[in-house]
Order: sequence, then structure tokens, then C-alpha cells
Amino acid sequence: VDRDGAVALYAAMLRSRTLDDFVEERLAAGDAAPHFHSGTGQEALTVGAALALTARDKLLYTHRGYGQLLARGLPLSALLRDLLCRTGGTNDGFGSVLHVHAPELGLPGREGVFGTRFTIGAGLALAERLAGSEAVVLCFYGEAAGSRGPLYEALNLAVLWALPLVLVAENNGFSVSSRTGSLYPRGRMSAVWRGFGIPVAEVDGNDAEEVWSAVSDAVGHAREGRGPAIVEGLTYRVAPHIPGDREAEYREPWEARGWARRDPLAGLAARLEDRGWLTAEARAELARGLRAEVEEAWRDAVAAPPPGRPELEARLELLR
Amino acid sequence: MNTRSALNAVLRSELARDPRLVLLGENLHTGGSNNSLVCGGLLEAFGPRRVFETPVSENAIVGGALGLALSGTPVVAEIYSADFLFTAGNEIVNDIPKWRFQHGGPARLPLVLRAANGAGAGGAGPEHSQCMERYLHGVPGLAVVTPGGAADAAGLLRTAIRSGRPSVFLEHRRVYDLEEAVPDDPDFAIPFGQAARVRDGEDLLIVAWGGMRALALDAAEALEAAGIDCGVLDLRTVAPLDVDGLLEAAEGARAVLIAEEGPRTGGVGAEIAATLAEQLGTTRPIARVAAADVPHPYDPVLEARLLPDVARIVARAQLLCRPEAATTHR
Repeated sequence: VDRDGAVALYAAMLRSRTLDDFVEERLAAGDAAPHFHSGTGQEALTVGAALALTARDKLLYTHRGYGQLLARGLPLSALLRDLLCRTGGTNDGFGSVLHVHAPELGLPGREGVFGTRFTIGAGLALAERLAGSEAVVLCFYGEAAGSRGPLYEALNLAVLWALPLVLVAENNGFSVSSRTGSLYPRGRMSAVWRGFGIPVAEVDGNDAEEVWSAVSDAVGHAREGRGPAIVEGLTYRVAPHIPGDREAEYREPWEARGWARRDPLAGLAARLEDRGWLTAEARAELARGLRAEVEEAWRDAVAAPPPGRPELEARLELLR
Repeated sequence: MNTRSALNAVLRSELARDPRLVLLGENLHTGGSNNSLVCGGLLEAFGPRRVFETPVSENAIVGGALGLALSGTPVVAEIYSADFLFTAGNEIVNDIPKWRFQHGGPARLPLVLRAANGAGAGGAGPEHSQCMERYLHGVPGLAVVTPGGAADAAGLLRTAIRSGRPSVFLEHRRVYDLEEAVPDDPDFAIPFGQAARVRDGEDLLIVAWGGMRALALDAAEALEAAGIDCGVLDLRTVAPLDVDGLLEAAEGARAVLIAEEGPRTGGVGAEIAATLAEQLGTTRPIARVAAADVPHPYDPVLEARLLPDVARIVARAQLLCRPEAATTHR
């Protein structure tokens, strides 16, 4: 990863973190942010993978970690309008932040029941192939989606037809309250797929540069027409599944604190400083600017109206 | 031309017309599902970049079809038997019909799921014989197409392919071999949500769709011989339901009989009866002929006793129109 690339990774990760921190402050202050899922601590994986794509590629995002969306160029104001279910975002308040729809940014949307992203991704990848494009489809997935059968069917098809599909497994230790190790043999989400004879890489999901490099290799493999590839990033969900879940029933407080010491932002910041690529002062200035951007976007979203009759009519017209 | 050939001809002409249209399905190099055999010769004619033979993977077929359609690639996917639609039930009930409502796009979702539906010659057992429209007609955002003859099948399939709205296209097994003239206009299409008055009559209206259309027409003939003037309305698409057409036809008759092949409880017929009662009041007698609420037996003799046939439609119609004369009937 060169200097520009590394600084871009840091800036995009900090953008995601700034957003998560701000929303958590608003929640603590009593504001509502329906369906908010903090991606704190997982930014290296979400951002590192998303930035390995080019503008023409497509990305199927997960509910956790808005760095995926921001790295594709989704404006903060659109994201927050979606989060607050207001008009003027990407879905006019009908899909919340769970169904962000920005096809011009390579973001087709997200399935509502975990698991069909893989087969939808295979179809998107086939469409790119038929159109003669070199685009690839990157599909993030967590423990829940990866436990479901469509993953097998999609991967089998992608191998048979050499589809340009890249899967990024976000192994963050949990599916809601269940441990990854209780859901997958030996706690690994991708090892079984080595049986397909495709590239399966396992990386430190808290090291953005390592993630970026591995996903870039996987994307290159798919783009060359050699079929699917998988990267599994090992990380940890520092946040609860949703704000206010019964965290004490499934983990000890020291566990998340221990992982906070491996914070991906702090790690990258230290390396960038060592290399003389980004000083502490520059980081602080970046943080101030992002904070101001997020605050401005929040004010914009809060002021935006929720959907009304005209938006509903437009939706119904789509279905007729 | 029979319905099977008519459907094949539409797929052929639409594949030739739209170079982006693709087919997905199992066993396509030998004509696709043995329950349908609609896709004969299409792989040979259009090649493997248009006609994709898949593994037995309904999640991948239906989810993949959604991914293609989201990219603007029109797709017709064949499911081996309509009973198997439930193997991709989440995609069919959740992903496909709700996608555009939640996301606000794309403007078109050109996706057709074709499947052989209903009981054919009999004896296929409880998971290869069902009429699946009863499970899908109340899902907002999904069209459910139930042609009863070759011309309707051709015209409705063309609409399904070109309309840009997702549909489940249910081809009744007994309808495949029905012969009928089919317009050779390459743009011949029948809009969704337009029921057809396939026979006029004032004493009784039989409401039917799919495989029941032919039985309803045969029953109407028999009833005419018995002095009952019987009309038949073919819904053609159970979703969208042609409510105006249904009410208009019902208003022209003294009684309404709904003929459904599937089980009585919670069927399409229940929705039709409720609509009639709500909109027209209860002064006009309404009745249903439907299957008993049990799974299809493999044994063809037992199965025949389960399913509504011409004799049962006639008997129920006589009871409905002339209760005083029909007391000897069960």
C-alpha cells in the first residue's frame, strides 16, 4: 500500500468511526436512529475491502459498518437521511439504512433476510459477464448469512461459470449473541470452501493494509475471469449487536476492552506516523473536519421530512 | 397448437427479439423440466450464453434471476415443478416483491419464474401436484399468472417477459396438451389483470382459472343440457385480480360458483367469494368447488376422489341453482 493509498484508508476508516461515534452520542442523548448497527472496531475490514474496488464494481453491503457505503462515495447526508427514514436519501425513507440503493455508486441494495446476497451477487456477476464488462461483485457477509444454504448454491454456480464474485467474510466473533465457534467448525467461516479449489485467504481483519492487499488480489483474480475468491478477515465486534442488547449475558466486559487495544484506527495511525506519512496534527485536523461534516449531515437529515403521500404513491406505482 | 408449443414459440421469439433476455433452468439441454418440456431446442438455437443450464439449486436460480434483473437483464427462470417454488420461498415472497418497495428501484424488474403447476395425469404424489397460486396471490408486488389455454399462455407469457414486473407464471399440467389457435402476431400480448368471459350465461357464473377453465367449460355444456344457462369467467391472472371484471360478470348472473383445484381452506376461491360478498352483498348465492383439505394421495383412484372434476362442478351447480330439484344429490 503506497502513501496515498494508506492515507486514504485511514481517512475513510476515520469517517466511518466518526459517524458511529456521533450516532452513539445522539442515541445516548435520547434521539432515535432505527436499525443502527455500529461498525466500530471493524473499519479495517469494511473499508480496506471496499477501497480495493474500482468505481465500476458492485458491492453488496452488510448491515454493520457504514464505511462500506461511504467508501463507495455515498454522501453522509444521504446515509443519515436513510438512517433516520427521511426523504431525500437513497430510498426516501422506505428502506431505512438497511436498504441503501445507489446503483450509480455500485450499490444495488441489500436483502432483508440474511443469506440471499450470495445468489443475488452471482446474478449480478453473471449480468456483468454477459454485458462484456470487467466489473466484479464484492459481497460482504457475516456469521448469519454465511450459515445459510444459498452460499453453497451461489458459490457452486460461481465456480461452474467462473463468475467474477468476491466474498469477504467478516468474522467478528459473533452472530448476535452466539460465538462464531459455536456456528462454524473451528470458528472459521471460509475454510470449508477450499474444497472448491478457489483462492481462500485468511487475514488480520484489523490490519487495513493487509485486508486491502488480500482483497485486491481476490478482485484481480475475479476480474481476470478466473472465478470467485474469498477473503476472511478476523476481527471483533467491539459494539453490542444493537445498542442496548443484553451484552452482559454473552460476554465479559474485559473481552471487548482487550480488543479495543487492537483498534484498527490506532494501529494504522501509528504506522502512518512511523513512516512519516501522516502526523498527529494532520490526524487531528482530519478528525475535526469529519466531525463537522457529520454534524452538518445530521442537521440536514433531522430537518428532512419523513415520507408522505406522494412518496407512497410513487412506491405503489413501481409495483403496478 | 398446444400450450407447450405456444410457450416454446414465445420464448423463441422473445429470445430472438431481445438479445439481452436469458433463460435459467435445470436440464435445459434436453428441454428443461420433465414436467414441462417447454424449453426444447432453445439451448441449441441460442447457445449457452443465453440459455443457462443450472444445477438443482433453486436458491441460485431464483436469487440469480433477481441479480440479473436488478442489472437490467431480463430473465425467464424455470422451476422444475411449482411445488418446488417453496425451496426459494424467501426469494419469491421477500426479496423479489419487496425489493423495489424498500429500495425505490429499479424502475423495471424483468423477471419471470415459470413452473409446471397442478395435478396432471394423477399419481404424482403430494409434492408434485399442487396448485401453488393459493400461496402467492396475496403477496403484494408479485403477479401470479394462471393461463387456461394456449393462446392465453402465449399472450400472458409475452406480457410477463416484457412488462418489467416480476411474475410467477404457473403452467397447469393439463393445460400443456390443450390445442387452440394462437395468433401468430409476434407482439401478441394479453395484459395482466383482465379476466375473460369465455362463455356467456345468465343463470350461473362459474369462475375458474388455469386448469379449471376447461373443466368449467365442459361443466357449462352439461348444465346447458340440463336447462341451466351457465357462463364462465376465466381470471387468467389471479394476481392482479380483475375485480371490476369479476363484479361485472357476477352481476349478470343469479348465482356464482368458484371452481378451484387446490384445497378449499384459504384458497384463491375464498378471496373471490369474500370480494363478491363485500362488493355485491349476499343476496346472490356463492359457492365453491375445491379439493378437500388433505394432501394428494399417490394412488390415482384416491386422488381422483379428492380433486374437483366436471361431475362435481355440475352437481354443485345444480344444487346452487335448483336446490329443490337437487335434493337427491349428496
